[in-house]
Amino acid sequence: MMELLPVASLLMLVSAGLAIMLLDVFTKGRAELPFVTTIALLAAAAISAAALFAPAPTDVPAFITDYLSVDKYGLFFDVVIALGAALASLLAGGYLREHGLERGEYYVLILFSALGAMVMARAVDLLTLFVGLETLSLGVYSLVGYRRTSARATEAAVKYFLLGSFASAIFLFGAALIYGATGHTGFRSIGEVIAAGHAPVMLVLLGLAMLVAGLGFKVSAVPFHMWTPDAYEGAPTSTTAFMSVVVKSAAFAVFLRLLAVGFGDELSRGAGGWPALLTILAAVTMVYGNLAAVAQSSVKRMLAYSSIAHAGYLLLGLAAVGTKPAEATSAVLYYLAAYTVSNALVLGALIWSGSHGKEATSYADLAGLGRRHPAVGAAFLVGVLSLMGFPPTAGFFGKWYVFSAAVQADMVGMTILAVLSSAVGAFYYLKVLVYLYMKSPEEGAPVAVPMKSSYVVFALVLAAYFVMKMGLTPARYLDAALAAASGLIG
Amino acid sequence: MFAVYLPVFIMLGVATLVAVGMFTATSLAGPKNMTAEKAIPYESGSETTGANHIRMSIKFYLTAILFVVFDIEAVFLYPWAAMFRSLGWVGFVEMLLFIVILGVTLIYAWKKGALEWES
Amino acid sequence: MDVGIGEYLALCSILFGIGAIGFLTRRNMLIQLMTIEIMLNSVVFMLLAFNRVHTGSQAGQVFGFFVIAVAAAEAAVGLAILISYFRIKNSVETDKADLLKH
Repeated sequence: MMELLPVASLLMLVSAGLAIMLLDVFTKGRAELPFVTTIALLAAAAISAAALFAPAPTDVPAFITDYLSVDKYGLFFDVVIALGAALASLLAGGYLREHGLERGEYYVLILFSALGAMVMARAVDLLTLFVGLETLSLGVYSLVGYRRTSARATEAAVKYFLLGSFASAIFLFGAALIYGATGHTGFRSIGEVIAAGHAPVMLVLLGLAMLVAGLGFKVSAVPFHMWTPDAYEGAPTSTTAFMSVVVKSAAFAVFLRLLAVGFGDELSRGAGGWPALLTILAAVTMVYGNLAAVAQSSVKRMLAYSSIAHAGYLLLGLAAVGTKPAEATSAVLYYLAAYTVSNALVLGALIWSGSHGKEATSYADLAGLGRRHPAVGAAFLVGVLSLMGFPPTAGFFGKWYVFSAAVQADMVGMTILAVLSSAVGAFYYLKVLVYLYMKSPEEGAPVAVPMKSSYVVFALVLAAYFVMKMGLTPARYLDAALAAASGLIG
Repeated sequence: MFAVYLPVFIMLGVATLVAVGMFTATSLAGPKNMTAEKAIPYESGSETTGANHIRMSIKFYLTAILFVVFDIEAVFLYPWAAMFRSLGWVGFVEMLLFIVILGVTLIYAWKKGALEWES
Repeated sequence: MDVGIGEYLALCSILFGIGAIGFLTRRNMLIQLMTIEIMLNSVVFMLLAFNRVHTGSQAGQVFGFFVIAVAAAEAAVGLAILISYFRIKNSVETDKADLLKH
């Protein structure tokens, strides 16, 4: 049994998910499921955090390491994903109950989706990558369409599902081409065969392009982003939080690993290889995301476009992995951790702002809220400043590390573009604060009243703690990210 | 390539010819005097009722979905069964876990009432 | 003469193309689900064909199994979403999904 210890966090989530399914049906929905789910996720995070600082396990059987890595890179993402999912389940605990949507399935889906995300982040084989990706995606499709009597939620689920399965099919075709070209599905063996020059170049490049398209969909890179605003807006807000933090982290984790390990050779990186492709994607994504976010009147939709913009910065970091592996990888890891807590904080504050009968979704709903309810305002303030990249928050150092990695990789022009477009971002982030503190609600308009939920408050405190902690002592977290990156780069 | 598959193509051609030929022959040779009685759809001698598209109960979909999901999982059982001896006890325990997970989902579906036809 | 990998690759690409074009041009969600299945099936076929070339392991065959199983799960989730969409819209035309535009 000891040989299963390196995957203990995954087993934890499987058993917790199954236990909650049984608990839900046998207690007829009376069990305190958000609590149990959060404990299970935090326990998984703690197991992986402990393993992150322990010496690397030896003698792990090949039937695990052939498919799932047990390196620090995977453990780092275990912690980020489990923490993000725990925040989402806490937010769901408040949100679903307040709006009369509480059903046990939600928490089961959160646990299994988080499991899929962890499998993805640890995948070292196209097969496990695919299984993890689908476990995550199928769970999230259902979480988006969870409010099935709502036309908007169902439409969002239809769009997300159709485009998502289309992207999965393209990803799979790419995976099959890579298998055909190299004869392997393991990332490392694929990399070895390509580096040795034994694979047909056209087949490899075509397969790689399709893999990038499939994963680009999951990280919502332009032009594969069409689903993002609709799915973010139509989904229950706690699902939006889950998607924006867990799906994004897992997809970027495996994206980076696949490129660095499977396609880290000269051929795939050279002229026309993936760094060039990702640079173009990054440029389009960050510019489009920031410009489109300005025009939004719904805060949820604005956050969707902002998440596209953040994907752009992260893609820039990914492109830099080709030339500066250690710096760029650790920067991307730090950025994802920072983005996870910041975005959970902002969406949590948005959930907190509404209560039964009146959800807060648009800017107008937030008018004057910061003056009437200072605590809600403070949560928004910290989160929004971090997303904007204002020191001394987590988001500032995230951007700082990614941009400096890009500069070291000789992508000065791209970095200037990134800085300029994040200046555009300041406009719509500050708009939130303007509405919170300087506007008043219109006469006769329904006013959003913050809900009372200890789950939501706990989630916000947890998220705000990490946002500030990562901003005030960034070196500690960057060291953890560097250690994780070294597990990948070797 | 054609040399190997020639018999298949010949067979395909003959089958098509025979089928098309029989239909053409009967429609040419047979007498045609269409009456109102003959034009109505045949339903075992009784009067036809309702539209020709009936809406099926949503329960069919639920049952079909459950069937598809549980049925397809069997693709993992067959290879295991074929390799039963060489996989040994490790394989047995792994498959047992797989079945236990499926079993839990079945209990879940059952207790949620997904297997009830009447309700 | 034997059927080589080139023919298989051509067949799979054509199947995949049919699925992709069908997905992009049809607006009936049920049909779109079917076109996705066609695309997935072409992938399964291709994995099996490639496994004939790479005889060292059965990785392609195993991958094929997983694709089949996941496709079934995907169809189940898709049908569930389709049913709730139909209950609200009384139609399965995806053109009618227009609430979420700004």
